[in-house]
Amino acid sequence: MIRILTIAGVVWREMLRRRDFYVLLILLGALLFSLMSINVFGLGSTMRYMVDTGLLLAWIFSAVLAVTLSARQLPAEEQRGTIFALLAKPVTRWQLLAGKALGAWSAVSAATAAFYALLLAVLALKGWSVDLTVTLQALVLHVTALAMAVSLALAVSTRTTFGAAASLTWLALAAGFVFVPQIPALLVYSDRVSGAAMLVLYYALPHFELFDLRQCVVHDWPALPANILFPVLCYGLLVTAIFMLLAWLGYRGRHFKRGDVL
Amino acid sequence: MAGTEYPIELDALAVSYPVHGGQVDVLRGISLKVGRGQIVGFLGPNGAGKTTTIHVLLGFVEPAAGSARLFGEDVRRTIARQRIGYLPEHPQTYGFLTGRELLRTAGRLFGMRGPSLENRVKELLGTVDLESAADRRISTYSRGMMQRIGVAQALINDPDLVILDEPTGGLDPLGRMQIRAIIGDLRTRGKTVFFSSHELSEVERVCDSVVMLVGGRIAAAGPVSELVQPSESLESYFLRVVERGLAS
Repeated sequence: MIRILTIAGVVWREMLRRRDFYVLLILLGALLFSLMSINVFGLGSTMRYMVDTGLLLAWIFSAVLAVTLSARQLPAEEQRGTIFALLAKPVTRWQLLAGKALGAWSAVSAATAAFYALLLAVLALKGWSVDLTVTLQALVLHVTALAMAVSLALAVSTRTTFGAAASLTWLALAAGFVFVPQIPALLVYSDRVSGAAMLVLYYALPHFELFDLRQCVVHDWPALPANILFPVLCYGLLVTAIFMLLAWLGYRGRHFKRGDVL
Repeated sequence: MAGTEYPIELDALAVSYPVHGGQVDVLRGISLKVGRGQIVGFLGPNGAGKTTTIHVLLGFVEPAAGSARLFGEDVRRTIARQRIGYLPEHPQTYGFLTGRELLRTAGRLFGMRGPSLENRVKELLGTVDLESAADRRISTYSRGMMQRIGVAQALINDPDLVILDEPTGGLDPLGRMQIRAIIGDLRTRGKTVFFSSHELSEVERVCDSVVMLVGGRIAAAGPVSELVQPSESLESYFLRVVERGLAS
């Protein structure tokens, strides 16, 4: 376990020292304060609009961090040549993958919690508040979706470049949020063959939309009961486990070359 | 058992790489035993298979045939790497870490922690003369400093076998002298050092014996004093062996 935690620690340091997180945090704060102060059409004084915008930005910024940080890990090790010194130590490839995944996920989750905290602080400045239980549920599901995104990016990056891994993960995220939820509606207009193909896609692609509780927070809906929350969390863990398994299958026999730009 | 196993043991080792639908034989059945406390120079022209051999020893490359063992353990087992240190060719490392953080990270990967790790980090920073730069980010290090911190991370676990791939490549005379001093220190402590190099004068100075690899085969191996005549240099002997190896 110490090896996995050590590798995760290096990923944390990388995120903190590359300053991407600080830039996004400052950007989020600047955007929220601008929205409040400019007050276009009176929207700055509408709490729901501010919460909706703040949560949307938190989702976008956390996805940016998750995809760039995790898709970069393995190709950068190979490109720098650090993979040789790393794997020359008593570290298995599985430990390397687990350390990278744990590090990227925990760092991005902490960053996401900071985004939520900033949003709550900005709302408090206005004297507004949201239901903390629902917000906490939203954060828990949000970081579960990030675990899926991190493991997907790592799995893709075992066999591709950083750019390709990041692009493919963005495509999967977009499909998971936008296209997959529309499939049941499209089935009504489909013939048998295309309908079957769409059903396969529906069950094969990850359902990121299940983890989006923004509307519950915005409209002050009641907290999710455990019999809904728990299966969704289990689904997220299952998808993450599948992506990690694919990552290991892709990485266990990988042949490294010196200074190889994947 | 612990006293009889060799730090390095290769038996009929063969490695092939797939290239454009065919196969290129990089290593063609090499057998080699390196005894404890030896300083062995691993020589050969470019493309001879030196780095591939080292990569097999470290478990990066799967042999097509034969076997490779470190201290009696199959190199595919993680435990085989517990007693070795490795400096890659052109060592690059995490520029966002400081030298001290890199050594701590390397130590933790060997399961070290607490005061013993901190003491070892401090000791090694002194050995490679990087105490004053220990808390600077590695991205600000010069090439020589990068090589020295690379050597330090290779020695963090006080390994019984140190594998160095071109340890003096690109270093100035002072840097070479420091690396020589480190190898000398390892020798006095009874450690085994296996290093590949193109710097034949360095090899002649520090090595007890050499292994010459040409075209994926061992073309010569043995103590320098036995292989090289008093009237010739290691360089001229090496050139002769390479020409003979390539001709055959």
